[in-house]
Amino acid sequence: MSSDAPVVIHARHLAKAYPLYKDQGAWVKQALFGRFKTYSRPFWALRDIDLEVRRGDSIGILGRNGCGKSTLLQIVCGMTRPTKGEIWVRGRVAPVLALGATFDQDSTGRQNVLIAGAVMGLKRAEIIAKFDSIAEFAGIGAFMDQQLKHYSTGMRTRLAFAICAHVEADVLIVDEALSVGDAAFQRKCLDWIDSFKKQGTLLFVSHSLDQVRRLCNHTVWIDNGRIREQGEPHRVIQSYVQATRDERDDVGRFSAADH
Amino acid sequence: MIEGPEQRTGHSDALLLHVIDGESVIDGKLGAWAIFIRFLRAPFVSAYRHRDLIRVILKRELDERFKGSQAGWVWALTAPLLALMTYTFAFGGSAVLPNKTAAKSAYDYSLFVFGGLIAFNFFAEMAYRAPSLLQEYAHFIKQTLFPAEMLAVISTLRASAYAGIGLVLMLAAQLAFTGSLSWTVVLLPLWVISFMAFLIGLTWFLSALGAFTRDVSYLMMTIAPLLLFATPVFFSQEVLPPPMDVLIYANVLTGFVEIVRDLVFFGRLPGLAVTAWTFFISLAMFWFGYWFFNQNRANIADVL
Repeated sequence: MSSDAPVVIHARHLAKAYPLYKDQGAWVKQALFGRFKTYSRPFWALRDIDLEVRRGDSIGILGRNGCGKSTLLQIVCGMTRPTKGEIWVRGRVAPVLALGATFDQDSTGRQNVLIAGAVMGLKRAEIIAKFDSIAEFAGIGAFMDQQLKHYSTGMRTRLAFAICAHVEADVLIVDEALSVGDAAFQRKCLDWIDSFKKQGTLLFVSHSLDQVRRLCNHTVWIDNGRIREQGEPHRVIQSYVQATRDERDDVGRFSAADH
Repeated sequence: MIEGPEQRTGHSDALLLHVIDGESVIDGKLGAWAIFIRFLRAPFVSAYRHRDLIRVILKRELDERFKGSQAGWVWALTAPLLALMTYTFAFGGSAVLPNKTAAKSAYDYSLFVFGGLIAFNFFAEMAYRAPSLLQEYAHFIKQTLFPAEMLAVISTLRASAYAGIGLVLMLAAQLAFTGSLSWTVVLLPLWVISFMAFLIGLTWFLSALGAFTRDVSYLMMTIAPLLLFATPVFFSQEVLPPPMDVLIYANVLTGFVEIVRDLVFFGRLPGLAVTAWTFFISLAMFWFGYWFFNQNRANIADVL
């Protein structure tokens, strides 16, 4: 990790709990009588996360489904608040968490670019000025003026990534987003991320270890809500692969009872 | 060509978020007074910051209303026009106004009712929609940095477009039937603004509650139609016996209905007490709603 660059993300003892209720109505009791009795059990999605990310870092985040990767990213974006611990983030964050989540099926690609750009915090004039460049990056030609419902999954991903590539973020957060595009488009995205990394900071979640190896200079492995290992990508990936081979994909992982 | 990140102008060093133990401390330590001022300004600061987003989502909402229809916005005009014609036929015969003043023409009662219905429908549209508003936009709120508090503003703006059509139609009908318009109609924008403030506050409150339970939706579906008859839409507050003629102002819609009628139909200034009460209600609802929404904001994304 570059050690003299300013810190952009700082997390100390970060923890996030979601309440798990016994039945659907329990939260009402919690809201009414919560100060006398607790009607829920906390599910700790994240526990005791310490993380320091400096400008120009690219952090690969590894972990199995439900280990807390997405929760961590959501906290960094400010979409959800941590329960305990401290976090601060500097600069503009562009989440590519769920590509195209804001897309409206009945609007055209063009209209969706306007909406998604505005949601990402771009000024209207900026979006319009960048429109041609976005269309070229997406490379979906005349479909730009078609309704989104006529798009294939790949085309949707292309459009979404093209928008994100034009947000001018300081911190880019990519969450398993690139797996949908075809090989040529994936390479285009990876090339773009490479050039982004020269100045920006990247948080990259992927189950494709090759991509993590290629893009990241630091890797964090999250297991069961905790950082199990972090450091140089090759080493962390090696122990991650080793562990995945050893540990069974058992059902018990998702139960809250042992927390 | 592809615009690469190397063309960027520079980094922003602004602190995006700073949270300690679940509490946002990004504002640092502020005095009670500064916190209060900041709170009063917050909805306006947010609306200004997100003005481009408001614009694009509002356009989407307006387009959506008549999506797939050929006539489109003609429907927005047709509905109130048909309503006005129906009232004229239905009530035209009963040429005595409910407040016992003699009607000047057969159209009077229909104009009287129409004015009340514009106000009531403005309210009803928000009352029906607000509880499920955040669910409608759940994918935005959960997965992007979407300013959820602006949804109340956007949806109220959309509703006010229809209320505006109704108002214009009412002014036209008033002019056509009576041949003149009172100067008091120039005060209508004030009425619209204070009604919007009330409805935005109401929407903040109902939508935050509605994020936690669908019951709010069913509750509003149950009580909104009843409120139509608990509000002086088809009658006038003046015909009620005491103490009901004062108690009916506990239904906060009464003031809004009476004022729009005074301004357009009767062509007189509304009473001072009614005006003061109504303005107070709308400001109180606005900031209470915003406070309530803000209190629950951290939980909303988690429960949606």
